[in-house]
Amino acid sequence: MTLSVALGPDTRASTHTGTAASTDVLTAPDIPWNLVIWNDPVNLMSYVSYVFRSYFGYSEAKANKLMLEVHKKGRSIVAHGSKEQVEQHAVAMHGYGLWATVEKASSDGKGSGKGKGKRG
Amino acid sequence: MAKAFKNGLKGITGYLEPAERELLRSLFDDVISMLEPAERANQDPLAALVGLDAEAREPSDRALRRLLPNVMKNDDEASLEFRRYTERSLRENKIGALKAAALGLDKDELVLGPADARHWSTALNDVRLVLAERLDIRDDADAGHIHLMQDWSQAEDVESYLALVYNFTTWLQESLVQAMLASLEA
Repeated sequence: MTLSVALGPDTRASTHTGTAASTDVLTAPDIPWNLVIWNDPVNLMSYVSYVFRSYFGYSEAKANKLMLEVHKKGRSIVAHGSKEQVEQHAVAMHGYGLWATVEKASSDGKGSGKGKGKRG
Repeated sequence: MAKAFKNGLKGITGYLEPAERELLRSLFDDVISMLEPAERANQDPLAALVGLDAEAREPSDRALRRLLPNVMKNDDEASLEFRRYTERSLRENKIGALKAAALGLDKDELVLGPADARHWSTALNDVRLVLAERLDIRDDADAGHIHLMQDWSQAEDVESYLALVYNFTTWLQESLVQAMLASLEA
């Protein structure tokens, strides 16, 4: 993270990065993606709720609702957006130690409820 | 005995006995050494500098896989591609938080500002994730079983010792997160 700041003044480096990024955007169609958080027996409910509040800026009520959904249903879609956006969120969640994946928003609209029998 | 973290005027404060600090220091160090990327003789220094790792692959160790999970559930190839661009900096961020938390162990009394509290909470979380894999905690029933181990006189083998350590770090993290939640309200 800090390294990309350090590379900032080098215009050639940043131009190059910019080109790579825009190529990416062209090849990935701009369809909605979901950020999914999976249940595990280790993460504290209070901690998961804290992460949702402090990282996403969700209200206490919304954070607790999503946390309970993870706990009871095994998974919850906690954010959506472009592929790049949800991937960035996923890395942040991995930084906090939450088990996060990204998935294409499916045609059934929600894509939830499949995780019941999965590792709890 | 350690005292639970509390949110107050000075920030978040806590107290640990010397033996507890030594224990936490060794746990933080263990996870740091798990996360340190292997140095490769032929690695491209510029690629390393910008966080790329063309050789990155899904870790074979279960605990490490939990710390650095695949980003897609059913697409190993796309997950690997993503890992090559992101895993190195994820490792470095985790190591940074663990090192910052370890530095704070130099004094009996802990006084944590907002950034310190974040480092501590993620460091404790990563330690717990690793211990949980070693203890084979797969579901809430396993977690409940481990939670019953509270008495240090029961520590008779490695597994019971790990369970007690896990419960101590769980208690410590919970008290810290409660203090952090209280600081959000303030």
